[in-house]
Amino acid sequence: MAYAYLFKYIIIGDTGVGKSCLLLQFTDKRFQPVHDLTIGVEFGARMITIDGKQIKLQIWDTAGQESFRSITRSYYRGAAGALLVYDITRRDTFNHLTTWLEDARQHSNSNMVIMLIGNKSDLESRREVKKEEGEAFAREHGLIFMETSAKTASNVEEAFINTAKEIYEKIQEGVFDINNEKRLKNGRKLSCCYTTTTDASISALRTQVKDRGLWRRSIYAVARNQRQLNGT
Amino acid sequence: MNFFRGVIGGQPAGPQPSGAETIQKLCDRVASSTLLEDRRDAVRALKSLSKVQMLSETSFSLSSDSSDSEIIGYTLDTLYNIISNDEEEEQDENSQKQGDDLGVQFTEIYIKDSENVTLLLTLLEEFDFHVRWPGVKLLTALLKNQCAQVQGIILVSPMGVSRLMDLLADSREVIRNDGLLLLQQLTKGNAAIQKIVAFENAFERLLDIITEEGTSDGGIVVEDCLLLLLNLLKNNSSNQNFFKEGSYIQRMRPWFEVGDDNSGWSAQKVTNLHLMLQLVRVLVSPVNSPGATSSCQKSMYQCGLLQQLCTILMATGVPADILTETINTVSEVIRGSQVNQDYFASVNAPSNPPRPAIVVLLMSMVNERQPFVLRCAVLYCFQCFLYKNQKGQGEIVATLLPSTIDANSISAGQLLCGGLFSADSLSNWCAAVALAHALQDNPTQKEQLLRVQLATSLGNPPVSLLQQCTNILSQGDKIDRRGSKVQTRVGLLMLLCTWISSCPIAVTHFLHNQDNVPFLTAQISENLGEDERLVQGLCALLLGICIYYNDNSLENYTKEKLKQLIERRIGKENFVEKLGFITKHELYSRAAQKPQPSFSSPEQMLFDHEFTKLVKELEGVITKTVHKSSEEEKKEEEVKKTLEQHDSIVTQYKELIREQDTEIKELKEKVSALTSQNEQMQTTIAQQMSQIQQHKDQYNVLKIKLGKDNQQSSGQAEGAHVNGLQLEELEELRRQNAELQTQLADKDTLITSLKSEGTQAVEGSAGPSDSAEILKELEMLRGQTQSQSAEISQLRAEKQDLLRKTVPGVLQVYVQAKMGELESRLSTQTGEVERLKEEVKALLESRASLEQQLASANSTVAILQTEKDKLQNEVVESKKEQDELLVLLADQDQKIMALKQKLKDLGETIEDEDDLDSKDQFDDDDDDDDDEEEDEEDEDEEDEEDNE
Ligand SMILES: Nc1nc2c(ncn2[C@@H]2O[C@H](COP(=O)(O)OP(=O)(O)OP(=O)(O)O)[C@@H](O)[C@H]2O)c(=O)[nH]1
Ligand SMILES: [Mg+2]
Repeated sequence: MAYAYLFKYIIIGDTGVGKSCLLLQFTDKRFQPVHDLTIGVEFGARMITIDGKQIKLQIWDTAGQESFRSITRSYYRGAAGALLVYDITRRDTFNHLTTWLEDARQHSNSNMVIMLIGNKSDLESRREVKKEEGEAFAREHGLIFMETSAKTASNVEEAFINTAKEIYEKIQEGVFDINNEKRLKNGRKLSCCYTTTTDASISALRTQVKDRGLWRRSIYAVARNQRQLNGT
Repeated sequence: MNFFRGVIGGQPAGPQPSGAETIQKLCDRVASSTLLEDRRDAVRALKSLSKVQMLSETSFSLSSDSSDSEIIGYTLDTLYNIISNDEEEEQDENSQKQGDDLGVQFTEIYIKDSENVTLLLTLLEEFDFHVRWPGVKLLTALLKNQCAQVQGIILVSPMGVSRLMDLLADSREVIRNDGLLLLQQLTKGNAAIQKIVAFENAFERLLDIITEEGTSDGGIVVEDCLLLLLNLLKNNSSNQNFFKEGSYIQRMRPWFEVGDDNSGWSAQKVTNLHLMLQLVRVLVSPVNSPGATSSCQKSMYQCGLLQQLCTILMATGVPADILTETINTVSEVIRGSQVNQDYFASVNAPSNPPRPAIVVLLMSMVNERQPFVLRCAVLYCFQCFLYKNQKGQGEIVATLLPSTIDANSISAGQLLCGGLFSADSLSNWCAAVALAHALQDNPTQKEQLLRVQLATSLGNPPVSLLQQCTNILSQGDKIDRRGSKVQTRVGLLMLLCTWISSCPIAVTHFLHNQDNVPFLTAQISENLGEDERLVQGLCALLLGICIYYNDNSLENYTKEKLKQLIERRIGKENFVEKLGFITKHELYSRAAQKPQPSFSSPEQMLFDHEFTKLVKELEGVITKTVHKSSEEEKKEEEVKKTLEQHDSIVTQYKELIREQDTEIKELKEKVSALTSQNEQMQTTIAQQMSQIQQHKDQYNVLKIKLGKDNQQSSGQAEGAHVNGLQLEELEELRRQNAELQTQLADKDTLITSLKSEGTQAVEGSAGPSDSAEILKELEMLRGQTQSQSAEISQLRAEKQDLLRKTVPGVLQVYVQAKMGELESRLSTQTGEVERLKEEVKALLESRASLEQQLASANSTVAILQTEKDKLQNEVVESKKEQDELLVLLADQDQKIMALKQKLKDLGETIEDEDDLDSKDQFDDDDDDDDDEEEDEEDEDEEDEEDNE
């Protein structure tokens, strides 16, 4: 599958905030209710479209546990985007944001786009961090902000795509230096693609086609009426 | 470095001494040894150790001013020399080991202060060749000696790995190549580092280098790249996923474009290709998660890599070990992937006539002259081709069936039969296992294979394949076989076990031959030697299967009778012990590990992987069956029957639910279609209404106009004053009249068309019959659901009854849970149906209101129609009046003329206007009207006109 750009992302934040779940929801549209502690780093990928251009996202989901911190630092340098995640039901995860941000700023490329994510927005009853607080933190540190739920998939798509849009704009503006652009850009055309068309997407297509059929019929009916009107 | 031999060489394997211990020991030697030479060696060793310490300090201090890279370089070089022990000495095995031990200890001393390693990493950033090169070599040596520790230090030093990755970008080949060796050591067995290296674009870089170097024709650098790639991908699913997602599989395809150009197969090329094949296998290994493997298999087919591999398979002159590895690779690329298996089945060898690749490969499998590993590979390939491939299994078995046999060409079936009965035990075993794989989990083929008949010697009747297999087993061999007798018998017994398990008909066929059971009991009960134990175990398994899958259709060999037979002839305990011989065999667990048949020697070829699964599955149940009394058996049978009943009920309900699911889906679709049609209808109606309104307005305008006209014309009539102007107006009126009439006609057609369309639309949209149908369906569904609920509760009552009587608690819970699940699903479905009904009702209502609207529109149309008719009549009447007026007018004109003439004749003078009158009758003045008489007769008028 041909793609115009290749963006590398990392997902960072305290353990248990739902980083792996966000990735799984984005790549597989699934939710994993059990905490499957990430060891080191796991990889995921997906294709998206921005401005009519195919963009491949390569995403590294890092372990939030302190003991893996030194390993995960190795992933900052090459990343064009970072999702910094906290859990809205655990204030400590919000309190740790500053440390995470310092770490990220220190080891990453200065142009790395950082998206702040308050996850688990479905657990409103257990909320400990107000949305306004997240917004304020983001404003203060120049981040984009969103609240998501990896469980209900709310805003998950948007979080990943908006980050890509920001990176894309930076490229358009020429903000990313050449060195970095070389990292990002990958105009290589590939002769093969291996999209997996799921049953669900097939049935969606089918209804679309059906809808289109209906639509066309209705268009036809209107046109017929028009003709009759003109005739009189 | 043989001088160290005396120092620490005496130590047996065990924990290696730490640096401190070594120093202690050396000091002791210096102090206490009586041998001068010994003391001298100890001193030398101590000196070397201290050098390490010193040098690491030197390099450390040097780097702080880092003024002289040359000195740093020398320091690193010296350190490297000490640590790697790459010195002049003669390298007999012992001294090598010795040196390694020392190197390990030196390394330990060096890395004890992790700053030393961090410093080394910093020094590697120095571009100067004299620093970088020895630095790379030193770090490699450190990694070789104390891999895990050094890896740990590098891992936690920020940017450590990514600095090392930069070595691959060094334009100086020596450094790049040594960088490859360094990364090989660095990535050994450390998943975290492997992932970082991959993250740092290693795949891209390595594949580029491989391409630049000329792929398999490239030298040892390609080999190093491939080794590193293997390190990165082996057992690392995250990296495998990254590799696949990065579309790097596609870039592997050209590696295998070796074609028929076999001019050069250098040792290096063979090595490279070997590694390339291994790399493919890592991605599709049966031990990977099924999803990962299948998506890699898919891309390998889509990008043509599989096709390329098959080309190598069929090419000539390919070295045997490459061929073998290619077969193994193809095996794993197709294993369990229907598309790839189908493709493989379609590959033909370029022989004359072309033969299927499968046939050509099987020929090698049953050919004694082929290398053992190649024959194993072919067997593996065949197994992978049939793995989860019912279609392929059917095709293979079909080549043996009388109806489809093709006498003119060699078929897979023929080759397998040939192998089964050949004089070579290895062929027997391979063919038996291969055939067993054609039957794996496939009851249809198990039954089909029962039809196969073999022609024996001339004059004798044909014998079934099943019988022939047992004959060889029971009658012993008339042929003198090469290889091991046990191998043949084990192969055949595995085939028979696979064949008749889960297939009562095959069991019956087997038992039907009177010789078989006595043979088995004799085998099991006999006290045989060690090497026959496995055969005994397999015979016990076969007999056990005969009991477990027995449908009691043979009077003499019912379950019960066979069990009694065991009790009498063998003894239950003895039987179970013999059965246990299989899993206790030393080779059993090895075969159970992975699907690929890998045996260190032909004699070890005894167990098949799939067969070990069957044994695992059956051993327990057979033991239980044999131990059970007939009473228990009966009870169990009953329970089983009830269970089956319940199962069938459950399946029935499942089926029903599935049907309802689809029905609901259909209904939903219908509803959405109706909704959109409804909307469409509404817009159409709205349009029509506005049209009607327009027409109404037009009519009103016309009516008013007509009213005016009428007033005018009546005014004219009243005034009875006729002149030219009025005539013109009449003309105009006539024209308007005509126009009106055409308009009316048009409107007529429009109204009828609207009417018909309206009805059409109504019919087409809601389709009263349709919704009625839906309603009916819904009603029916509801009825079904209700009756099902009733049935369920009844069944539940029944079941509880039954359970109370016979079923143990667990079962009850199970059934209840199932029922509960079913019920809840049914209730959700009922809810769904209810909801749909609501929707349909709503739709129907909206349709009704639409119909009402249409009806009212229609009535409006009708009213308009009558109004129009009335208007038309009025128009006609007024026209008639106008005509009459016209006639009168003309008449009076004539009369006036006549009167004027008379007056003239009588000598009366006529007013001025009269002249004008005579000139232009139609421009007459109004003034004269008063004098006119209107009583004249028509005939007179005409006469007078004629006269004029
Ligand atoms: N309700 C709710 N639970 C969530 C959500 N996202 C994640 N979880 C749960 O939170 C737990 C942790 O999620 P993970 O994604 O494994 O956490 P992580 O951030 O990857 O943790 P580490 O791998 O240790 O760094 C799991 O039990 C998830 O089911 C969410 O949006 N809503
Ligand atoms: Mg995680």
